[in-house]
Amino acid sequence: MSSLSRASLRYLWRHPWQLVLAVLGIALGVAVVVSVDLTNESVRRAFDLSVQAVAGEASHQIIGGPSGLDETLYTQLRVELGMRDSAPLIDIYGKARASTLHVVGIDPLAEIPFRGRFVKQQDAAVRTLLSTPGTVLMDASTARRLDLSVDDRFKITVGGHAHEIQLVGLFGSHDSNPAALDSLVITDIATVQAISNQPGRLSRIDLKLRNDNGTAAVLKRIHSILQPGARVVDAESRSHALLQMTRAFRTNLTAMSLLALVVGMFLIYNTVTFAVLQRRGLIASLRLLGVTRGQVFRLILGETLLLGLIGSVLGLLIGFTLAQGLVHLVTRTVNDHYFVLTVGELVIMPWPLLKGLALGVVATLLAALLPAVEAARTEPHAALQRSGIEVRARSLVPRLAMTGLALTLGALVLLVLPSRSLLLGFAVLFLMILGLTLMSPLVVSWLTHAVLPLAGRLFGIQTRLALGGVVASLSRTGVAIAALMLAVATTVGVGVMVDSFRSTVEQWLSSTLRADLYVSAPGLSTIRPEMALDMAVLERVREVPGVAAISTGSQIMVESDGRLIELFALGLGHSILPRYPLKAGDPGQVWPAFLANRGVLISEPLAWHQRLTIGDLIPIHTDTGIRAFPVLGIYYDYSSEQGEVLMQRSLYEQHFEDHAVSALGLYLSPDADLQRVIELVRDATLDTQYLMVRSNRTVRETSLAIFDRTFAVTNVLRLLAVIVAFIGILSAFMALQLERVRELGVLRATGFTPGQVTGMVTAQTGFMGFTAGLLAIPTGLVLAEILIEVINRRSFGWSMKTVVSADVFLQALALALVAAILAGLYPGWRMAHTPTARALRQE
Amino acid sequence: MIQLHNLSRTYREGQCKREALRSVSLTVARGEVVALLGRSGSGKSTLLNLIGGIDLPSTGEVIIDSQVLNRMSEYERTLFRRRRVGFIYQFFNLIPTLTVLENVQLPLELNFLDVERADQLLDKVGLTDYRDTYPDRLSGGEQQRVAIARALVHEPTVLLADEPTGNLDAESGRLVLGLLGDLVRVQGTTLVVVTHSRKVAELADRIFVLDDGRLTDRIDEVIW
Ligand SMILES: Nc1ncnc2c1ncn2[C@@H]1O[C@H](COP(=O)(O)OP(=O)(O)OP(=O)(O)O)[C@@H](O)[C@H]1O
Ligand SMILES: [Mg+2]
Repeated sequence: MSSLSRASLRYLWRHPWQLVLAVLGIALGVAVVVSVDLTNESVRRAFDLSVQAVAGEASHQIIGGPSGLDETLYTQLRVELGMRDSAPLIDIYGKARASTLHVVGIDPLAEIPFRGRFVKQQDAAVRTLLSTPGTVLMDASTARRLDLSVDDRFKITVGGHAHEIQLVGLFGSHDSNPAALDSLVITDIATVQAISNQPGRLSRIDLKLRNDNGTAAVLKRIHSILQPGARVVDAESRSHALLQMTRAFRTNLTAMSLLALVVGMFLIYNTVTFAVLQRRGLIASLRLLGVTRGQVFRLILGETLLLGLIGSVLGLLIGFTLAQGLVHLVTRTVNDHYFVLTVGELVIMPWPLLKGLALGVVATLLAALLPAVEAARTEPHAALQRSGIEVRARSLVPRLAMTGLALTLGALVLLVLPSRSLLLGFAVLFLMILGLTLMSPLVVSWLTHAVLPLAGRLFGIQTRLALGGVVASLSRTGVAIAALMLAVATTVGVGVMVDSFRSTVEQWLSSTLRADLYVSAPGLSTIRPEMALDMAVLERVREVPGVAAISTGSQIMVESDGRLIELFALGLGHSILPRYPLKAGDPGQVWPAFLANRGVLISEPLAWHQRLTIGDLIPIHTDTGIRAFPVLGIYYDYSSEQGEVLMQRSLYEQHFEDHAVSALGLYLSPDADLQRVIELVRDATLDTQYLMVRSNRTVRETSLAIFDRTFAVTNVLRLLAVIVAFIGILSAFMALQLERVRELGVLRATGFTPGQVTGMVTAQTGFMGFTAGLLAIPTGLVLAEILIEVINRRSFGWSMKTVVSADVFLQALALALVAAILAGLYPGWRMAHTPTARALRQE
Repeated sequence: MIQLHNLSRTYREGQCKREALRSVSLTVARGEVVALLGRSGSGKSTLLNLIGGIDLPSTGEVIIDSQVLNRMSEYERTLFRRRRVGFIYQFFNLIPTLTVLENVQLPLELNFLDVERADQLLDKVGLTDYRDTYPDRLSGGEQQRVAIARALVHEPTVLLADEPTGNLDAESGRLVLGLLGDLVRVQGTTLVVVTHSRKVAELADRIFVLDDGRLTDRIDEVIW
């Protein structure tokens, strides 16, 4: 190693806390990115696995409308078309021993070309599947998890009905991907049809078509025998459409994680700047000796690269740990809102790790670029002068502010561009953040100059000294304040956004949920009533005294324009009028038209995604084929991201063969007692199926609880950004005070007590924290507006009313102040207790 | 050989101009020792910086060994300085994170020369025992001796010293000065030394005085 690098590395080694904080800052920034990435990838992978496990090697699938396919189609396919390479399948989700199981019914005899692994080597067990109803196979690790062994009987609950089934065999996992088989239960078609109460139905039929010229002809022949509503789809595009649903959600997580990295970059910038500034004398001496600018530049970058590497590797480890927690939060959110993931395991993939490593190193180098250039520009005679760099930094402040202003204006220009691009939205967000952050040092300098005379008069010379120090070393204090400001602004922005979202949803819930009681069968999603109610339930509930009217609801997934959306079939009892708050359309015209079945209503996100307005036609795959329905109005809805169609029950029954109802809304007579009616409903339906009978309030509370759960991840990320910023200002203040060792030594020699020195340092850090908090408020509000009006709208299409509470401001100020003061405590204490003689000897 | 032609250096601070050097011309022969005297603020350090190529004149030329410094690029001047010039300052400007020996080795390493010579120089300034110590453990006089070793180890043609004894007591000053004189004469290095001290000036072949940026050789004006 050359003496040059030795000199540089020993410097780092002599300032261990600075080293540790810098590495930690990089590590946390990288950790957040890596953990979110790993989580996203794991969710995606879990999804792929769930699909893959049952998709087998099909090239195409025949799928039906929402109620699936009639199984006679399969017979036709085999007998009339002689299609050997076809396999029927029906799948449902059920719960057993607190685990969610994916129950897949297959025809073992048709399986070999598709999912051979399930039936190979299992001849005896497979024969049992066929001969004995209610027998199943699962993979060994799932059985172990459920504490089951072969021949055990256990209960599985599907749509509120419990069924007893028997495990008759295990399929091995010498398969390449054992995780794919997790939570998978294989049985025959009849068993699934029985326990899900879907006699004669299939979910789909898998086909294996060779990819040659004959394919078109084969497809044509298949089409000729398809029932209305059924169609052939490409196996891959089908799963792609499903995954597409979570895209916006995952993008937002990634953006949050990048924000943490940006805060981390500030920290790195800060650290490197200190390291440079503290060594300006040393660097100047080197320049005197004939070390070239290039050598200085490479020296600083090389040293930073080392920090970046160490920090990034550490970040990978932390990120990995963090991801294990995140993956559960995210899986829950996905299950709440999108589709059922049976697998919730963290999968380690090389790509996110490599990406994190690269990002950490690149971010570190980028952050170090400016200080490195600054270091390279050090003039040799700076060895003889002290304040040169500070003077230049101060002259840099207006220039930075101008750059910031330009970036902010650029963001505004991008904002008014008529675009729907989410990427552009994020560009606006980041430009705006960067712009406002760059302007902050100038504002700090103004602010300090403004309060300086007053503070001096009020609190005396000590306070003047403390505040003067902020401006005197603006190159460092400015960055520390900017980093803290950014982190606090992020929490303000995200906080206001989440608050606004929540209050909008709360209001929406209370205006949409009109019934007094809701009855549904427990499904896997806490939000969507997806399980069919027994016919008997409706009749029994109708008889319950106190129930004045009943509305019915039924929610299914349908396809429209290649997207999967939700359809809600609303059956209104007599005298109940729908009162969904409308975004577009005159209620006086919309509802009569809706009741007359002249069309459907669509939710706001759907209107956004499909660019539909009143009067347009929306195509929907029904059981009778693709039908286009006129859009009568657009209503607010926050229950589904992909969007929802509202259709009256009677219209629904014309197009869908499904007569099942999945939820009931009960309207009570004015004198009825809520609790009493709940008990009566429970009693009346005791022998039908297990039901959830929930009051209006409970439903509202549950919905909000899910809302909060959805944003749990966001809160974790927010907290991390603050921690990174905290580390940033801690290191900034430590370095700053270290710089001032001599100055404070002089003060001590002049007769300042240790207490006074501590007081002065605290006053300074407190002032910096306060300033950062103050600046964070407007910045945070701008951020919130962009999140609400640009990011959220472009991702989901939701409108929200911005709600700002005083709490948010107080929290921001308190957060910044506490972080700053905490960060100032140790350096203050250390300064106060450095022996005066040693302090004076420094430099 | 150092040749200075009509050197001027003007500092600008806002509207205000300050002429630190006014049309200074001087020729110093190879191996000659020249002392530069003058009141505080008369431009001594400025002149030294121009000779060392760490600052550029407003007008005029600096020629060392027939190379015109003020026409070189920053990079060329750096390389020139690395090879041909040594500096010694009042505050010793040692690298605190390198040991005494490493400090002396640094110029050799930068010039791709054999680092063995560092030990000889340390021996000459009598600090062999301190070779593995960090500079902050040394006394001022000892630190300045390290600085001298470092400034001469790569055998530069020009040595520039700005008040080398300014920060030392009389005894250490004498020691440092003796070393400096001896080494410079032995190596045949041209030495320009800025000083307030009569002792230092006595070492010189010629003495010049800077008075408000103008160079003269009338010593009687100087207040010792
Ligand atoms: N970077 C600078 N910017 C502005 N003025 C400067 C700068 N450096 C020096 N000066 C001015 O130039 C004049 C000469 O300065 P110089 O440092 O050469 O004096 P000096 O003779 O070395 O003084 P001393 O004996 O006190 O070291 C002084 O008036 C000084 O204020
Ligand atoms: Mg001087």
